[in-house]
Amino acid sequence: MSALLPLPVLLPLGGAALSIVVGRWRAAQRMVALAVLTSVAGVAVALLVAVDRDDVVATQAGDWYAPLGITLVADRFSAIMLLTAACALLAVDVYAIGQPGAERNHVGFQSVYLILSAGVAAAFLTGDLFNLFVAIEMMLTASYVLITLGGRLDQVRSGMTYVVISLIASVLFLAALAFTYAATGTINLADLAVRMGELPSGVRSALAGLLLVVFGIKAGLFPLFFWLPDSYPTAPAPVTAIFAGLLTKVGVYAIIRTQTLLFPGVLPTWLLLAFAAATMLVGVLGAIAQDDVKRILSFLIISSIGFMVMGLALFTVAGIAAAIVYMVHQVVIKTTLFLAGGMIEHTGGSSRLSRLGDMARTAPLIAVVFFVPAMSLAGIPPMSGFAAKFALLDSVAASREWWILGVAIAVSLLTLFSIAKIWLGVFWGQPDPAETTVAPGRPRPPALMVMPTALLVAATIVLGLAAGPLYDYCARAAGDLIDPAAYVTQVLGSGAP
Amino acid sequence: MSVVMAGTAAALFAIGTYLLLQRKLSRVIVGLGLLGHGANVLFVNSGRRGLPPIIGQGDPSDFADPLPQSLVLTAIVIGFGTTALLLALAYRSWLLTNDDEVEDDIEDRLVAGRGYSDLEVSDVALLVDEAEESDDIPRRRSTTGEPAVTGRER
Amino acid sequence: MILLLALHAVLGLAGLAFGARLGRRGLLLGIIGPIATALWLIAQLPGVLDGDPVVDSVEWLPALGMNLDVRLDGFSALMVSLVAGIGVAVYAYALSYFPAQREGLGRLVALLTLFAGSMLGLVVADNLIVLYGFWELTTITSFLLIGNNHRDGRARAAALQALLVTSLGALAMLAGFVVIGHAAGTYRLSAIVDDPPSGTAVEVALALVLLGAFTKSAQYPFHGWLPAAMVAPTPVSAYLHSATMVKAGVYLIARLSPAFDDVSFWRPTIVFVGLYTMVAAGLRALRQTDLKLLLAMGTVSQLGFMIAVFGVGSAESAVAGCVALLAHGLYKAAAFMVVGILDHQYGTRDTRLIPRSTSGWRLTSIVTVVAATSMAGFPLALGFIAKEEELEALIHESGPATGLAVAVAVLGSIVTVAYSLRFASGALGFLSGHGSALTADVSYGSPTTWFVMPGIALSAATLITGMVPGVLDEFITEAADALDETVADVHLAVWHGVTTSLVLSLVALLAGAALFAARGRVDPVLQRIQLSPVSSSGAYRGTLRGLNAFANRVAGVAQSGSLPVYLGVVLLTAAAVPGTLLVTGDWWSGTPDLVGTPLHIPIAAVILGAAVAAAAVRRRFTAALFLGVVGYSMAGLFVIEGAPDLALTQVGIESLTTVLFVLVLRRLPDRFESRVPLWRRSIRVTIAGVVGVTVFVLALATGALDPPTPTSDAMVAMSVPEGGGKNVVNVILVDFRGYDTLGEITVLTAAAIGMVALARAGRRKATGDEAHEDPSPVPPPVRVSRLVPLEVSMRLLFNVVMVGSLYLLFVGHNLPGGGFAGGIVAGAAIALRYISGGIDEVRRLSRGQPWLVVGGGLAIAVLVAAAPLVFGHAVMESATWALHPPLLGTVKLSTVLVFDAGVYLVVVGLVMMMFESFGDDPPPVDDDRGGIPELIQEPVA
Repeated sequence: MSALLPLPVLLPLGGAALSIVVGRWRAAQRMVALAVLTSVAGVAVALLVAVDRDDVVATQAGDWYAPLGITLVADRFSAIMLLTAACALLAVDVYAIGQPGAERNHVGFQSVYLILSAGVAAAFLTGDLFNLFVAIEMMLTASYVLITLGGRLDQVRSGMTYVVISLIASVLFLAALAFTYAATGTINLADLAVRMGELPSGVRSALAGLLLVVFGIKAGLFPLFFWLPDSYPTAPAPVTAIFAGLLTKVGVYAIIRTQTLLFPGVLPTWLLLAFAAATMLVGVLGAIAQDDVKRILSFLIISSIGFMVMGLALFTVAGIAAAIVYMVHQVVIKTTLFLAGGMIEHTGGSSRLSRLGDMARTAPLIAVVFFVPAMSLAGIPPMSGFAAKFALLDSVAASREWWILGVAIAVSLLTLFSIAKIWLGVFWGQPDPAETTVAPGRPRPPALMVMPTALLVAATIVLGLAAGPLYDYCARAAGDLIDPAAYVTQVLGSGAP
Repeated sequence: MSVVMAGTAAALFAIGTYLLLQRKLSRVIVGLGLLGHGANVLFVNSGRRGLPPIIGQGDPSDFADPLPQSLVLTAIVIGFGTTALLLALAYRSWLLTNDDEVEDDIEDRLVAGRGYSDLEVSDVALLVDEAEESDDIPRRRSTTGEPAVTGRER
Repeated sequence: MILLLALHAVLGLAGLAFGARLGRRGLLLGIIGPIATALWLIAQLPGVLDGDPVVDSVEWLPALGMNLDVRLDGFSALMVSLVAGIGVAVYAYALSYFPAQREGLGRLVALLTLFAGSMLGLVVADNLIVLYGFWELTTITSFLLIGNNHRDGRARAAALQALLVTSLGALAMLAGFVVIGHAAGTYRLSAIVDDPPSGTAVEVALALVLLGAFTKSAQYPFHGWLPAAMVAPTPVSAYLHSATMVKAGVYLIARLSPAFDDVSFWRPTIVFVGLYTMVAAGLRALRQTDLKLLLAMGTVSQLGFMIAVFGVGSAESAVAGCVALLAHGLYKAAAFMVVGILDHQYGTRDTRLIPRSTSGWRLTSIVTVVAATSMAGFPLALGFIAKEEELEALIHESGPATGLAVAVAVLGSIVTVAYSLRFASGALGFLSGHGSALTADVSYGSPTTWFVMPGIALSAATLITGMVPGVLDEFITEAADALDETVADVHLAVWHGVTTSLVLSLVALLAGAALFAARGRVDPVLQRIQLSPVSSSGAYRGTLRGLNAFANRVAGVAQSGSLPVYLGVVLLTAAAVPGTLLVTGDWWSGTPDLVGTPLHIPIAAVILGAAVAAAAVRRRFTAALFLGVVGYSMAGLFVIEGAPDLALTQVGIESLTTVLFVLVLRRLPDRFESRVPLWRRSIRVTIAGVVGVTVFVLALATGALDPPTPTSDAMVAMSVPEGGGKNVVNVILVDFRGYDTLGEITVLTAAAIGMVALARAGRRKATGDEAHEDPSPVPPPVRVSRLVPLEVSMRLLFNVVMVGSLYLLFVGHNLPGGGFAGGIVAGAAIALRYISGGIDEVRRLSRGQPWLVVGGGLAIAVLVAAAPLVFGHAVMESATWALHPPLLGTVKLSTVLVFDAGVYLVVVGLVMMMFESFGDDPPPVDDDRGGIPELIQEPVA
């Protein structure tokens, strides 16, 4: 089983190298990319099964015993994130191939996209703090390239914001690593988990706070998210979709991983809850203020991040389990929503509410693939959002953090409002003739765009109906996170001389 | 780590930060460079000091801690890659704008400026009030939009 | 039961799929739902009436107690009978109401079916969370139904209002449910009612639940959405907005009252809100000229009455409420049907336009009269029985303000009687004065019999149950008993003898009649009086406006869109959070030594001096060069720290960076002119200071700890025996932590691609699609003297340096060097070629295909990493072979070296692509042989 661990990283990398070499044969590139991503998804399934059977699967790169070498490790949490990510990546790549403009005009696309996939997988599977840095760098560098594909002026401007902020985050991460190593003399996560306890409380919580900020920048935590709504919407739809679906979640993953494994209970609950509340509120208020589908959705990403952090902040099995369910749900629907947004742009010729309208009649298909995930986001049964939101609220009530419960409820209402705004603006009413720039009778989206989106729509429904098993799994995952003993022994124990 | 080194790193961070807070892109880039150096200073000092860790050249117990060194090396190279990309980006934006001001995001200005308020919602809410107390000139057509089926037609 | 719900879902979705083609015929598909429900109910009824409810459950989220628990007891049966019975009637009615085909009709019908399913689920759900789920489903379906004719702005607004107002309540209710569920330890409604939890939390939760009920049942001050919702087609209004959905709130209160009426605020709040709504809405109804709005306000009023009655929470009130639910459902649906018919035939619902009804309208008139009679609570209609029971319940309520409550209720009844009369006379055309204002040249057709039949059926039900209410006894008993087991056998009768309630009813009837008769004088007054301090829609609109404004302000502040601000916030947070956390705990562990080695001081001085200079200078070039100085002195520092590999790499990279800067910066005006106000500069300084201090303190705090580093020691120890290399750092890079290195060359690869993509996008400005942008300055070619001797010497030098780089690659494992160092030196060599011959020289090196070098390098590295897996070893596990080629003796070939070669190639390729990007003379776009494939948009076809 442990032989599977490196594959989600190596396969995409090999694919990337290959598709660089085959350069101009677009068909070959696509076949490589799709084959690779499909097999990664397959591997992810296998890993999930394996991990759910024997808690933790770990292997040591180069067969050097931990903490000498780099540990690759999968537990339930990373496994389900990996699987979700793999599916999203595959679906979006198909969409990108189908959509005119994004992928087919850039020989580099598939290679860079594969590198991004490798980075995401590596981030989920690594058991080493510095290697996490490298993985995130892989992911980010690829994302820099993707977000500026085409080099339009607005892309360059927003890309600049994105790149600079991310580079700051990277430098801060480096500094954090330096401090960590100086304080503990190791960078292996499991080893750190053991050593952190011996540090003076101040140093320990300072490191916790620093890492929280570092990953918070990537995750889009208030007040570190401002770059996100500016940069995401300018990229081509599939790129935005995968950024929205995955990149922020990698940040959240890192937060949850480090806070549970290295700093259990170090940061005061109120601090995390405050971050969560501010993120939820500012995010959704920002969404209400926007007039552009992609921007509204981008702000909604932010507020959803707040929900996840809220779940973590409770630091109970229930809370973290709910957070994980919510993450999986969000990856699926945010990706779907942005893909739907791409279709709106494709068919409506714009993503501005004021320029769109009446698409419920003119493009019922798009209306459906938008409506379902939107309702899921609003927490309407039987979609995944219902179970996810309920699980979160239930865990909050269990921890008796009433005020954050109130915030969450208010945010849910505002979220519904912002979605309704999109619905009224895009699918109902009539485009404002004054502002309309596009001629009627725009192209219907090609099948390759529709198919993956529809599959993701189906996914959110299935996840909603299968909420029971999903939650049970995530509860087990949360259990591992709360009590990382198995993780530590599996990593440090295995392969030692 | 020695006070001097800590001070050096801190100063690099401070100067870098100062540069980052400016609108000129090339200053931002220089600032990032300084920050990077600062982080490297921190990192390379995070382990034991000593001789170059090359076996056979001195007693291993006097070696400097090799692990941070290799990590810094990796970090440097990664930093180089990203800097190159950033420069390419700057180059591109300079080509497009002939200037290296980092402009503000237009959409944000829009939102902050004209205060986009949802006309759709509030205006038709007015209509609702009419509907509620509709004592205006009676409508010949009902709101259901049904045409009146007249005797002739039937 | 669950199958029944599934059936509705299937029917609805099928309708959505094929609705466009089915049009009105979709109704025939949809009516299956209610009919099935009705039949099923009839089948279950005997059992239910014997007092054993039908229970079913499907696990959904058992871990959290959220399961699809359904339970059909007497009260649910009552609600189901409404949903199904009126459902059938409305569907039948809609068949005549709608034209055969209209845009959006199929969708509307399908949604109606989905709603029926949701409503059914709502009233049989026995799990609070699932109940909430169905509750929201009815909200959404109602939203879509109201807005179905969405090109009418009024419809859109009404839909949105209904959605937001009811969802506000629903979400509050959800919060309440969750709290109650935790207090009770279960989400099962029946269990909670049997053994209600208590406590402050629960009381707050109950208040939230009430909010949900009030919004859904359009109680003041949340009533505004219901009249607005009347823009929906009449069948929808008749079904959702009078008979079923709006009763959800009543249903919930009815369910909870018996359990929670000992909670201090429960009864007073409900009774007050209910009765206030009853009167206020009644008066509102009294001044409408649009019959549909009149009925809508009437519904609000009646809902208020029912809520007040159920709120009492006594056995009597349970009975009364049940009867009222039934009666109201029957007559209000019928009344709406009448309005729909008038609307359909005359094209208006305005009392001032509807002409006297003619012979063809007899049936309609009957329906009208019966409905109005029942509405007014006139004897021999079920409404009368209901009114009697309701008044009785209030009279016997043992509350402080019983008298007042009864008085208000009577007042409400008076108003009700008045608007019932207004409705009847309006519908019969007595209010249109002499003749109608409708154009006289057309004679209006009378409705078909089928159109009226559903109404007739409902009226028949009203009358029969009204005259011989005994038929309902068992049904009502069971329904009320399900709510409150203290209910004894109920005996409904028209004549109870002369009771207070009878007297009050008569008073109400007479006064109401009088009020109506005096409408000439009353109406003007009504128009003037302001019923609620602010109109509900006004409040709603104001809230929305305020919300939008607030959101804009927040977005404006948070999202300034300026990079410096963002960076400032981020850096400040990054410094403040850890800094504060550090000093709040204990962190000081001994003062560290001032300097590690004296050498530190000069090197630090140089570094900082250069840094300050880089920050201070006004010329770009100088700034770049000073940055370079910092870099090179970093190399010096590395040497002092005993890190020769670092120093080597640093020097190489610094050189490349500088070259890159030069290549890029030459495109720019050389000086930056920046003039900033003092305050802004001071802010910068402050932030910079905070960051610096934090870093300093953290560095000392962590640096002073000096932990044991077994890992590194082990690495040193194992370097030669296990890693087969003397240079520990290099062994770590390519072996112990080779996996990092793999990731790192991946970064380089991505960077290379991106670099070229951007630079090429820049090259392509001529090709049109960015023609609107101002032309960029054509880069001046680097002037290079093409002297033959220079060429030759360059070639020589190049070869020498290349050999040197290869040497570094090979010795790297044992001496300072390795793939990176080697690759970068090679890069320097390439720089030489560039200087001598420009980009063409560089191209010649890779036959113009540097991306092959990069890709190849990456491929090699990946293969080396993956190969061991094939042989069942760990990823990146290294292997060594001793070769014995002739002459050279033994050569040890290690996979590690191959891996390092891959690294070398990637770096070289990166440098080549660097020159590709920023070197001069772009190749023509259509150049397909040489050069890098276009990484940019092809000309749009």
